[in-house]
Amino acid sequence: MSQTAASLAGTPSAALRQNAEREASALPPLLVRAQQLAGSVLSGDHGRRRAGMGDDFWQYRPLQQGDSRQMVDHRRSARGDVQFVRERELQIAQTVHLWIDQGASMRFASSPALPQKIDRARLIGLALSILMLRGGERVGLTGGSLPPKRGNLQVLRLAEALSRDQDQDYAPPEDRAMAPHARALFISDFLGPFAPLEQALSKAADRGVRGVLLQVLDPSEEQFPFGGRTRFESVTGALAHETLKAAGLRDRYLDRLAERRDALNRLCRLAGWHFGQHHSSDSALKSLMWLYHAMDRGRV
Amino acid sequence: MTWVAGIGFAAPWLLLGLLALPIIWILLRAVPPAPKRQIFPAVTLLLGLSDQDSQSDRTPWWLLLLRLTALAAAIIGFAGPVLNPARDAGGSGPLLVALDASWAGASAWPQTQDQITARLEEAGHGNRPVAVLRLSAPTPLQFQAASTWQQQVPGLLPLPWQPGSDQIQRTLAHLEASTEGFDTLWFSDGLAYEGQIALTEALTARGEVTVITSGLPVLGLLPPGLSDGAMDITLLRNPQHLPDAAAKTYQLQAKGRDPGGTPRVLAQAPITFAPDALEANLRLALPAELRARIERFEIAGQTSAGTVALSDDTLRRREVALIAAGADDDDEGLALLSPLHYLRQALIPSADLLEGALTDILPANPDVIVLADVARLAPQAEEALATWVEEGGLLLRFAGPRLAASDTARDSEELLMPVRLRIGGRSIGGAMSWGEPKTLAPFAQGSPFHGLTIPAEVSVSSQVMAQPDPSLASRVIAALEDGTPLVTRKALGRGQVVLFHVTANAEWSSLPLSGLFVRMLERLAVSSAVQTPDAQSLEGTTWQPVAVLDGFGRRMDAATLPGVPGADLVTSATGPALHPGLYQSEGRSLARNTLRPTDVLTAASWDGSVAQSGYDRAAERDLTGLMLGAALVLLSLDVLATLLVSGLLRRPQTIAMIAALGLAQALAAPHSGRAQPLAPDEQPQLDHIDRAAELTLAHVLTGEAAVDRIALAGLTGLTDTLFFRTSVEPAPPVGIDLERDDLAFFPLLYWPVTASQPLPSAAAYARLNTYLRSGGMILFDTRDADLAANGASSPAARRLQQLALPLDIPPLEPLPRDHVLTRAFYLLQDFPGRHPRGALWVEAAPPDAEQVEGIPFRDLNDGVTPVVIGGNDWAAAWAVDADGRPLLPVGRGFSGERQRELALRFGVNLVMHVLTGNYKSDQVHVPALLERLGQ
Repeated sequence: MSQTAASLAGTPSAALRQNAEREASALPPLLVRAQQLAGSVLSGDHGRRRAGMGDDFWQYRPLQQGDSRQMVDHRRSARGDVQFVRERELQIAQTVHLWIDQGASMRFASSPALPQKIDRARLIGLALSILMLRGGERVGLTGGSLPPKRGNLQVLRLAEALSRDQDQDYAPPEDRAMAPHARALFISDFLGPFAPLEQALSKAADRGVRGVLLQVLDPSEEQFPFGGRTRFESVTGALAHETLKAAGLRDRYLDRLAERRDALNRLCRLAGWHFGQHHSSDSALKSLMWLYHAMDRGRV
Repeated sequence: MTWVAGIGFAAPWLLLGLLALPIIWILLRAVPPAPKRQIFPAVTLLLGLSDQDSQSDRTPWWLLLLRLTALAAAIIGFAGPVLNPARDAGGSGPLLVALDASWAGASAWPQTQDQITARLEEAGHGNRPVAVLRLSAPTPLQFQAASTWQQQVPGLLPLPWQPGSDQIQRTLAHLEASTEGFDTLWFSDGLAYEGQIALTEALTARGEVTVITSGLPVLGLLPPGLSDGAMDITLLRNPQHLPDAAAKTYQLQAKGRDPGGTPRVLAQAPITFAPDALEANLRLALPAELRARIERFEIAGQTSAGTVALSDDTLRRREVALIAAGADDDDEGLALLSPLHYLRQALIPSADLLEGALTDILPANPDVIVLADVARLAPQAEEALATWVEEGGLLLRFAGPRLAASDTARDSEELLMPVRLRIGGRSIGGAMSWGEPKTLAPFAQGSPFHGLTIPAEVSVSSQVMAQPDPSLASRVIAALEDGTPLVTRKALGRGQVVLFHVTANAEWSSLPLSGLFVRMLERLAVSSAVQTPDAQSLEGTTWQPVAVLDGFGRRMDAATLPGVPGADLVTSATGPALHPGLYQSEGRSLARNTLRPTDVLTAASWDGSVAQSGYDRAAERDLTGLMLGAALVLLSLDVLATLLVSGLLRRPQTIAMIAALGLAQALAAPHSGRAQPLAPDEQPQLDHIDRAAELTLAHVLTGEAAVDRIALAGLTGLTDTLFFRTSVEPAPPVGIDLERDDLAFFPLLYWPVTASQPLPSAAAYARLNTYLRSGGMILFDTRDADLAANGASSPAARRLQQLALPLDIPPLEPLPRDHVLTRAFYLLQDFPGRHPRGALWVEAAPPDAEQVEGIPFRDLNDGVTPVVIGGNDWAAAWAVDADGRPLLPVGRGFSGERQRELALRFGVNLVMHVLTGNYKSDQVHVPALLERLGQ
């Protein structure tokens, strides 16, 4: 009987473990790079500059009415007649929601020497998550697939969740299950339809969520270095546009790109968000620093 | 045939197709290329944008140009282009092409053949019947179509002689037999010969004669002569271009076989014609050993029998007989005092030495006989010796205490002594005499030693003195600084007698210690060379050709050529009856060269009745294939370029297709040089470099796959262990085929003995013995663990006895407890392999080896035991698999692992022992030595 149970239990668990190991083998590179990136940002104290829940010493104050006897700090109190309470600095954990576009349009790099946009987006997103988690914040994904939690284990969960590709060409932003007054970070190329983004941001603004939009673009999308008869296709091939003279489209394409960027900027200003850009040919650290401070600004 | 820019066309109307090219240009350029496919996520921003400029993309101009060039090449190719088309030379009627076809034209023969082909083609265009006649081998005239002769041109080869009177007579007869008149083209080699004028007259009588000459100088190499140890080489040239003849240098090459039997150039020297000179001379002095190996002299870059001189007996190795008074030098200690020692050392490299009694030696008829300090000979022997000298022998005598003390040549000049001697000789610079030892005076002009440099350290302290005599001055060929003779010589019959007034050893002078002595002997021995015989001495002999030269100077087998009378061999000119080559008779060999020593080269002279011409005809070349090939290449380039422009080249399947096509072409190519396997001896060479660069352990391949595999795995395990634990870092081990591989690179051979192993060949055993003697070690492993069992024997042990029988193995003993092998790296007393506790046999200590000063092991013989024999199957214990894990189980449990560890330790000790010898044994003495030094 027990043997049967063991064999029944053994098979699925073995398969699960095998899958888990296979999945985990994809994680370390991203994790390591993200840890490395996060390590290059010096995180300072996140002290709230007032007494509250926390680990660091804030001040001694005399015992007041309503304080429990347990709170008396006897080492300080034994020096005199007054009884003191040791207060710690208030440290409030923030909730950060992360949305990283896992759509097919992100899986693009114009040359083999450059990373794909999605790699960059995951790297920056995970590195920021690590920084936040180290700062004691709670980090999770939007949409309820990974609720915000704290601790190092969350890094692993995030890394795993961020490794899942989506088949859709331009994924709409996920705006569900955001905690009120939380922080949010949306990383995408924002080349897809504009309306879902608008909707998501207005919903976030309604719930008091503020945050940052980071647009990740490939250099070729910024410069449009094409010429001759060309058939442009999206990554899945669902969308296509053919031209006889690609060079002639350049100026109009750049206008449209600038227009889209203006629209994003405007939207952010209305919702109280920050807007940033990143090119996959640039250093990830620069954007990470900017993001770190942008998230900080939103908080204070 | 039509002419355009020096190129003739068979179908010139096709060239009008070139006019269509501009139209094709306009047609081709309008076709747009296929679109490029570009993945671009920002395509959402592009949607709805339309092309403002609806102009179609054009084919790039360079692609158009490529296509048009291909087309033009095809059109021109089909029009049948011909470079240098034959022009009508005028003239009609039959044509005779007469060739000298002698050795003198052999160097320029390829050009001559081209010219003949061109002339025949011209004749063919004019429909003239042609006859071809080689004057050096005349045949009846046959007038045939020129194309028939064209096929035979490659077979028209020069012969190694010039047309002689015999051939001229036959030619004239053939000309007379022909009834019709004909024009003549006469390809002359540029040399005059007998009958040339008569022939010219006969030909001009029949029609117009044109003489065609290449204009290249003709060279002739005379047979080399020998004088005073150097070879005299003479090169002649024909005086045809004397007015503007400048100084010209040719390279003379002496070819022969090296000691390994490989033909190679043994010596090379420039030989230079002075301006306006017809003759160039070169004196070539070579070491006797090298000179004896020369087979032929050649002028580099010339391929003619006239520029080849064969060598024969005259340059061969000489036989020298050494005779000393009371020559009894068996005792090694007195070797340096032996009167013959220095002579032997000096002559061995360059001569064959004979030693023995004079009466035994004389019948062998040596070239030189050396008498070292022999005062008196038996009358009969003296007479025989004198006869031998008169017949051309060289008698070389050395003075000495015996000669000085005897009364030889005191009162009158003796036959076998060049000068009269004074009693007792003289001693200078000794303890009982005044003066310094004398040095040598520079060699006078006319002395055979003239030109040798005299080292300053050569001095003479004793000598025998010559009696002043009217004839003395002419006989001295070397003297001391005070004018007393050191070497004297006199001619006797055809031979000569030479006396060194000092001893042949270093007792009286330091001459035998110097290099000058060797060079003096060389000069003298050379002057005793066999002279080229004259016609008189060859009368009545018949000489059989061994190898003959063809017109190009190549050596051919003489096959069935008849013998030649001796007198003709020396005096006659070469001809069909006398090929130049190497002849033999009664053990003597004689080289007959194309030119005789007295020959001169005379330029042919032509009177005004003949027209003269040079080599000015260029051969026709059909360019059709070239042009069509170019068109094909351009079209295939166009395919690639089109794919490139249309963006299809980046697709993997296109690349695969192109690669497949390219591969097919490479395979279809008729000669693929790279496809040939590596030359057989190159691979081992590479191995040698690798093996010499790194220490490598090796095992002997037994032919049993399982055993060889375990042996290799075992050595791999041992290699790894050495790598981890010691500073010995060997390369991966190898298997050795005893028949094929060089053993010199391996310090240790592991030899697993199997019962079915084949015995190595004798050559392999010789190599194994060399290997053992030069410090190699073989570890024999019978792998049966019972070698040491009392009286027991296994098949492997019996095989080992058979295998080791021819090996040079010293006496063996079971490994003593104090052997250095027990402490070369680890301290060991047991040497288990996969089998525990088998005995180990090593080279026995010498009987007088003792324990030294209580140190617990002996001062063993300085060296490594050449063999170690055991049966513990060490390789199986060492063996590891590819992951470094043990391959085979050893023993049981922990004790088994301990046994494996001990086996590995034994391996480490063994390698350390091989590499360091008895260093460890010596190390034990260090404390004792230090202690002694401290006192």
